[in-house]
Amino acid sequence: MRRSAARKTGQSNSTAPITSSATDLFRSASSKASSKEMERIDNLFYSYANRSSGLIDPEGIENLCSDMEVDHTDVRILMLAWKMKAEKQGYFTLEEWRRGLKALRADTVNKLKKALPELEKEVKRPSNFVDFYSYSFRYCLTEEKQKSIDIESICQLLDLVLGSHFRAQVDYFIEYLKIQNDYKVINMDQWMGFYHFCTEISFPDLSNYDPELAWPLILDNFVEWMQEKRT
Amino acid sequence: MLSMRFTITTLVALVLKSFIEKERGRGKSTLNSSGCVSNIQFWHNFRNAYNMVLHKFGEKLYSGLVSTMTSHLKEISKSIEAAQGDSFLEELNRKWNDHNKALQMIRDILMYMDRTYIPSTHKTPVHELGLNLWRDNIIHSSKIQTRLLNTLLELVHRERTGEVIDRGLMRNIIKMLMDLGSLVYQEDFEKPFLEVSAEFYKVESQEFIECCDCGEYLKKAEKRLNEEIERVTHYLDAKSEVKITNVVEKEMIANHMLSLVHMENSGLVNMLLDDKYEDLGRMYNLFRRVPNGLLTIREVMTSHLRETGKQLVTDPERLKDPVEFVQRLLDEKDKYDSIISLAFSNDKTFQNALNSSFEYFINLNARSPEFISLFVDDKLRKGLKGVSEEDVEVILDKVMMLFRYLQEKDVFEKYYKQHLAKRLLSGKTVSDDAERSLIVKLKTECGYQFTSKLEGMFTDMKTSQDTMQGFYASHPELGDGPTLVVQVLTTGSWPTQPNVTCNLPAEMSALCEKFRSYYLGTHTGRRLSWQTNMGTADVKATFGKGQKHELNVSTFQMCVLMLFNNADRLSYKEIEQATEIPASDLKRCLQSMACVKGKNVLRKEPMSKDIGEEDAFFVNDKFTSKFYKVKIGTVVAQKESEPEKQETRQRVEEDRKPQIEAAIVRIMKSRRVLDHNNIIAEVTKQLQSRFLANPTEIKKRIESLIERDFLERDTIDRKLYRYLA
Repeated sequence: MRRSAARKTGQSNSTAPITSSATDLFRSASSKASSKEMERIDNLFYSYANRSSGLIDPEGIENLCSDMEVDHTDVRILMLAWKMKAEKQGYFTLEEWRRGLKALRADTVNKLKKALPELEKEVKRPSNFVDFYSYSFRYCLTEEKQKSIDIESICQLLDLVLGSHFRAQVDYFIEYLKIQNDYKVINMDQWMGFYHFCTEISFPDLSNYDPELAWPLILDNFVEWMQEKRT
Repeated sequence: MLSMRFTITTLVALVLKSFIEKERGRGKSTLNSSGCVSNIQFWHNFRNAYNMVLHKFGEKLYSGLVSTMTSHLKEISKSIEAAQGDSFLEELNRKWNDHNKALQMIRDILMYMDRTYIPSTHKTPVHELGLNLWRDNIIHSSKIQTRLLNTLLELVHRERTGEVIDRGLMRNIIKMLMDLGSLVYQEDFEKPFLEVSAEFYKVESQEFIECCDCGEYLKKAEKRLNEEIERVTHYLDAKSEVKITNVVEKEMIANHMLSLVHMENSGLVNMLLDDKYEDLGRMYNLFRRVPNGLLTIREVMTSHLRETGKQLVTDPERLKDPVEFVQRLLDEKDKYDSIISLAFSNDKTFQNALNSSFEYFINLNARSPEFISLFVDDKLRKGLKGVSEEDVEVILDKVMMLFRYLQEKDVFEKYYKQHLAKRLLSGKTVSDDAERSLIVKLKTECGYQFTSKLEGMFTDMKTSQDTMQGFYASHPELGDGPTLVVQVLTTGSWPTQPNVTCNLPAEMSALCEKFRSYYLGTHTGRRLSWQTNMGTADVKATFGKGQKHELNVSTFQMCVLMLFNNADRLSYKEIEQATEIPASDLKRCLQSMACVKGKNVLRKEPMSKDIGEEDAFFVNDKFTSKFYKVKIGTVVAQKESEPEKQETRQRVEEDRKPQIEAAIVRIMKSRRVLDHNNIIAEVTKQLQSRFLANPTEIKKRIESLIERDFLERDTIDRKLYRYLA
């Protein structure tokens, strides 16, 4: 494993440099350091991973969370998954783990925990947030070929992901979703549509909303419902 | 010099004098009878004039001419002023003629001066000078100018009030003014004439409006207009025609347009209602002369038509009889077609207004498509019996016209299919040719897809005939038994029917099975299912007193009747068990045979109209009918009941979804990338010939297609959609 770690840092053991410049020295020093870091990251992985599957499973994640003193339903775990580009909800592969922790420069649980506030800030940056937002939807698609998420789960996800930014919109929309009958599931297009709705449409007056534009129909209905409520 | 002046004066005076003398009746002069100077005298004068100019006395000659003629004219002026009453114009006319003749002569005499001295000094040529002097000294003389104008206007007024005037004299005087220059004609006559005329017609039109109805008024206005045109032809400058007609048009028509059109009891709407072609034609011809005239007529006609139409289609009384309803629409269309062709000279803008009005109100009633199909059904069943081929075409073409106005053509298609199916299956169509002719018209209007299934229905009927022949040919032993006629319907072409259970009597079911195996023997891989709810049967029955009748019934009814071959009394429950016909159908079936006067081949106890579970049924031995063949079947197309209507509407909506999707995909495939509003517009346009697509529904379909990865939203501009190959 060490060999592969070393290979990953780009310095081959077999070929010694003919000339040693400062960069080469630095590189070899940092590669040694990074290979050490990688080793620690890997070790950390295996401390949570399931023996037989070789992956961190939901149980392992729960352990990690309690070690970090973060609730496993906390949005920061989702953010961590985003950073890792984790594909399957509830599981982390070694590659994903490495990716995430390396980017966060954390090789211990403590460092990981300390990296969380910084991660939060990073996610909240507008350029990243859209990506995170769409990621969070995909992350919840558990079945193969699943394209939509049921209303109940969507409500929870909305609250988790957008609640802090757009409290009012989220609350009203959740209320609407629960009482309407037209849709039993929400798809990606509608999910993204809601985000753009929050960022573009003035709330709660909704004065700049135009149903003749390409907004998803569910939002047209939502706006109509809001306007009826008001009268 | 003295001699020179003398010569000039003599020269001119001589000429003029001769005229004065002539006038006074003294013909003693050197002039001959036509008033021309004799040749000798002429050449003498001419040579004198010539010499004068040659020796540079042109100036003197000219100014002498001016002063002599002026003073002469002043004399003339006095004599004209002295004329009394009517002779004023005559005197003026006479003196004018004299003057003209004199001018001609003077011009001839002074021709050399005209050609040499005058051009080089840029002085007014002789003839023109003569006219100007006449104008300045006679026409514009203070005692004549006003009097002349007033006299002329007075005469025109008299003529307008019915008097006869001397038109020749008028013509001459007017011509005089025209000869004096268009400015003179305009300033000294035409302008005041137009003003006075405007005042005259303003007053007159006000009087007429108060005492005449619309038709009479228009007649009077037309008369006045024609009079003025005639007046111009007879004694005014042709260029005045358009000006005076404008005055009449403005005062008599334009200013009163709205009062005329909306006049109570006689206005436009009344004319339309009473088909007053002549009055309408007159109104059209008069109004087209004024700005917005035709627009006004068109607007009133349109709003009246829309209102009438709206009432027609929403009147609950009318809606009870669909055939009547459609007939009324056709009558209304005929009425207005006649009006437009006879009175409005087939004006295209009026045709368009008619079409848009019909389109508006026909679609106000959601049942219009159904009703039009029922109308056609009625005609094709019996209405066209005995009608000639050309007349059939005429009626069908008129129906097609109404069809074109429908927005929901797909609803019509659905009903048409249902009704056609019933007609074909019951063999109740009057004319095969008429049926096919209509299908061809529908195909021309809507394209091949609209009618391919309908044509499939006809094909099935024909094929079935052939199949039946083949069946009986290969089963000669069946010749004595009941005759089976099977129509094999291809599922996709015919309106979908729910499959209904029904136990056929033994004889029938055996026969049906034989047919089934025959058919499947020649058509492997197909499945046949009997549609017992769509069949008919002819049943020979003998009643209590021996009366024999042939009953034409539905298959269900036949099943029920056949039971009575083996039992005298049957309860509802027993019948239900034996036939396994669904309750609602069975009840209707029993009602039609036991509760309807003239068709009561069965007797029910109790005699109530409703069918109760415990009711008992018997053959009605006392049944009578004057006809041998009695029809009891219930397969006629009828206006749908409320729940049936809902169901059809739902099916139509369901059918629209794939059509909308197909349109979206077609459009996106060719455009690749398109924004939201344009998609909506294009889809609506593509589907226009079938139905009016709902933008919300289109949006729903787009979202569905996005979900199924046919389309995607552009990530940067969310108004754009992209086609995913």
